[in-house]
Amino acid sequence: MKRSIPLAAIATAGIAALALTGCTSGTTDDGTVTITYTNFISNGGNEANLETIVAAFEAENPGITVDVTTLPYGDYGTALQTDLAAGTVSDVFDIEYANYLTYQANGVLAPLTVTDPAAYRPSLLEAYSTDGVQYALPSSFSTVVLFYNSDLFAAAGLETPTSDWTWADEEAAGLALTDQAAGVWGDHQPVSFYEFYKVLAQNGGEFLNSDGTAVAFNTPEGIEAAQWLVGKSGTTMPTIEQGQGTPDFDTNLFLDGKLAMLHTGIWMFGAFADVPFGWDIAVEPGNTNQASAVFSNAVGVSATSKHIEAATKWAEFLTSSTTMVDVRLQAGWELPPVSDESALAAYLELGDPANRQAVFDSLDQVALPPVVAVGQAEMQDIMTEELVEAQAGRKTVEQALADAETRINAVIGG
Amino acid sequence: MAERLPAMRRIANPSTRPGMVVLFVVMALGALAMLFPFIWTVVTSITPGAGLSFAPSLIVEDPSLEAYRTLFTERPFARIIGNSLLLATITTAIQLFTSATAAYAFSRLAFRGRTVVFAVYLSTMMIPLQVLIVPLFAQLKAFGLVNTYLGALLPTFASAFGIFLLREAVNQVPRELDEAATLDGAGHLRIFWTVILPNIRPALATLTVFAFMGSWNSFLWPLVVLRAPEMQTLPVALAGLQGQYTTAWDVVMAGSVVSILPMLAIYLFAQRYIVQGVASSGIK
Amino acid sequence: MSGIAVGGRPTRIRSTAAAPRPAARRRARRDAIAAALFLLPSALPIVMFVLVPMLSAAWISLTSWNLISPATFVGFENYATLLTDPRTGEVFLHTLAYIVGYLPLVYVGGLAIALALNSALAGRTLLRGIYFLPVVTSWIAVALVWRWLLNPSNGVVNAALAAVGIAGPGWWTDPAWAMPSVIIASVWKDLGFVMVILLAGLQAIPSDLYDAARVDGAGWWQRLRHVTMPMLSPSTFFVVVISLINGFQVFDQVYAMTGGGPNGASTVVVQQIYDLTFRYGAAGEASALSWMLFIVILAVTVIQIRGQRRWVNYG
Repeated sequence: MKRSIPLAAIATAGIAALALTGCTSGTTDDGTVTITYTNFISNGGNEANLETIVAAFEAENPGITVDVTTLPYGDYGTALQTDLAAGTVSDVFDIEYANYLTYQANGVLAPLTVTDPAAYRPSLLEAYSTDGVQYALPSSFSTVVLFYNSDLFAAAGLETPTSDWTWADEEAAGLALTDQAAGVWGDHQPVSFYEFYKVLAQNGGEFLNSDGTAVAFNTPEGIEAAQWLVGKSGTTMPTIEQGQGTPDFDTNLFLDGKLAMLHTGIWMFGAFADVPFGWDIAVEPGNTNQASAVFSNAVGVSATSKHIEAATKWAEFLTSSTTMVDVRLQAGWELPPVSDESALAAYLELGDPANRQAVFDSLDQVALPPVVAVGQAEMQDIMTEELVEAQAGRKTVEQALADAETRINAVIGG
Repeated sequence: MAERLPAMRRIANPSTRPGMVVLFVVMALGALAMLFPFIWTVVTSITPGAGLSFAPSLIVEDPSLEAYRTLFTERPFARIIGNSLLLATITTAIQLFTSATAAYAFSRLAFRGRTVVFAVYLSTMMIPLQVLIVPLFAQLKAFGLVNTYLGALLPTFASAFGIFLLREAVNQVPRELDEAATLDGAGHLRIFWTVILPNIRPALATLTVFAFMGSWNSFLWPLVVLRAPEMQTLPVALAGLQGQYTTAWDVVMAGSVVSILPMLAIYLFAQRYIVQGVASSGIK
Repeated sequence: MSGIAVGGRPTRIRSTAAAPRPAARRRARRDAIAAALFLLPSALPIVMFVLVPMLSAAWISLTSWNLISPATFVGFENYATLLTDPRTGEVFLHTLAYIVGYLPLVYVGGLAIALALNSALAGRTLLRGIYFLPVVTSWIAVALVWRWLLNPSNGVVNAALAAVGIAGPGWWTDPAWAMPSVIIASVWKDLGFVMVILLAGLQAIPSDLYDAARVDGAGWWQRLRHVTMPMLSPSTFFVVVISLINGFQVFDQVYAMTGGGPNGASTVVVQQIYDLTFRYGAAGEASALSWMLFIVILAVTVIQIRGQRRWVNYG
């Protein structure tokens, strides 16, 4: 078959030409050090912003070059763990708070000596230190707040949410603003692990016991908190059958002007910038306490890196330099984890929402995700599954929490 | 002289015209069902700032190619598409070669343990890649081929699927043709080249399509082995459009549309060979 | 061993009396050398990049490993854990449910389309392209579209059902209907694949067979049963074997459409393998599970290969 020959020839020639080797970390003859950095934080639109930060770092540190690899967020864990298993992990790499403890406990993070700890927000810095040793540096954070459609509130003659609100206020407003016939809903809050540990804290409960070996949420406070979440389905927000829980469902409802209150993260500011109605934010109401969810990403240095010093310098620059702060603020690329409030002043002037101060206020009382060294992902999956069973009406809230307790204890115990 | 056209054509005589019309209508409706999701993908890709609306409409108010522009400016998509094209082409060419030779061996050459070897070949399809990926990656790292095109290509050089497909096709080539060639003094290589290959053209074309498609849509292996931004392949780059918190769905859909086009081109090109079969497939 | 023909055709029994033994031996040896040469191009990659990792995976299945720390040897503990965990049975059951629903539909549908597009239908070249289109699309976009189509409250499918007075089910939000939703989307996507394979097979059927049948008075259905299907059996065999091998390892579409839910109601074996490896830090258990799956698939395939001599016909 004449066709096969040319193809085979091309292929052979192609292979011969393609024995390129990839970039490796190393020290070249002229003494420059190349460090590798694998990240997910810049994907989805911020690649150029990251490049700006890298360029600034390289300008300030002529002997160091940073090789950046950007991976999709969803599959980052797969690639990172494959690297760790095979020994090809980068010098510096991103981690999420939820996985921090697992990586630290397995010794893959190098202990870091931070030149300027005061530059970081204390609570964020502490989150990544264990037994007094710093293992990672926070690179950004986002908080979850209550968004509201001020036009809908005005039309109904209701007061808009303030920082004094409690669950009771939120519930009353949500019910008053729901008009199912018109397709307008009062209050949307996802039913998932990520919401549960927060509302649990808002109700004075704890997710894990003090040494993290068993759960502590199967209490009256826990049941009340779970009921708070589950009860919204069908009353102030649509049910699962009506689409609740599908990707972007809640934000689309809000964008269409059909949702009065929405619990979501500050990363949505950009998406809501052009809506035709008035909107603003408030700190999430609590019940007995206030507690807001904070998500943060961090960078760690590999324990097996051959250039720990250079890598640490890059990690610090990426997480606390003024260049980084400026880039992030201008691009609306999450919030830098710095302690200097004046540096963040520009953030407050960036436009809608007017009450950006609420973002910083919400940091006063924080609910960090519960983390364990073994079984983190399973714990999260199980919790969400059980809550959704309750939401769908296939179990009672009490039964769901009891089952979650049994199942989770089995995977995290010791 | 037997009619060249497939026998089913005989349905198309005047007395069954209505039958053909009904058939056409049914098939056309089916085609619409096949097309519909694709149409929706295109519509979403030209809807600026599209979220995943719960009740999307097919009528776009402000169609714009912004998503496509973003696609090619945010990441080096032209280069990325080039990577995918390169890898897919090489994979396909090599797979055609390795599959055809193996198919010939399994069909025409009797040797001890042929069944066992074939079973072993088939069994390589029975383990999911998710489980092989860590050892495979470690192996390629040992060879120093991480983040290279060769590293991405090597595991794709043989495909049990392709071997199986071609073996079935070679089995259907009548042995009388082999014998005739042998009488003319041909050895195995010449039989392979002049008798077998020309007679399995449809299967070769089919394999071309599937091998190309397999490489084009391959995600997990390129994700793990090709890291540098300029070396990534299309599916990995498209996954990168989905951020940690938010996703620009119009851009994702634009990427999907772009990734379908070369595949479709290959299929339409290969289709002629797949269908052409009758004349060359050993009519008795 | 070589007497058993994998191809379904009896290997040529060399005539014993007439042919001189040395010549037969020479020929056999030449064949064996030729076989080695012809197998080499495929054997090298397969051995190095599939069989060797498979052996590593077998070794890993005897360890407890979270990927980021060194593995510890635990013998057959992973297998024991899996065999006593009800979740294992569940994921196999879900996978089986997928196969049982998917295979008949995709084969019959693909056959019907192939038959139709093998006739003198107007526009058949274009139609062949359209029916193949879903095969080349990726599951990201397709899954989203099907989730929307099968939306319980205002998706197109339920709206159509409501128009004829049927209350549509919860589809992918309902544990009982989650897998059927995936099956429907998968059948839609793979019809083109089956069509292409069967079309190639149909093209190869000599028309004089149909002529002969017609002369004997056979109608359309009889021609299908007695000429088409037997002549198509090699292609059918191929489609069934491949569909089963792939069906047991189904993952992408299930994950994209339901994420394995709701509440794990549609989690299949490969998703469990993936979760165990990359999310639950149990790569050893994942390997063990994949070897269990392997044995199942191998058994099913061997049964088919053995059975092929009865019904597959390489005329």
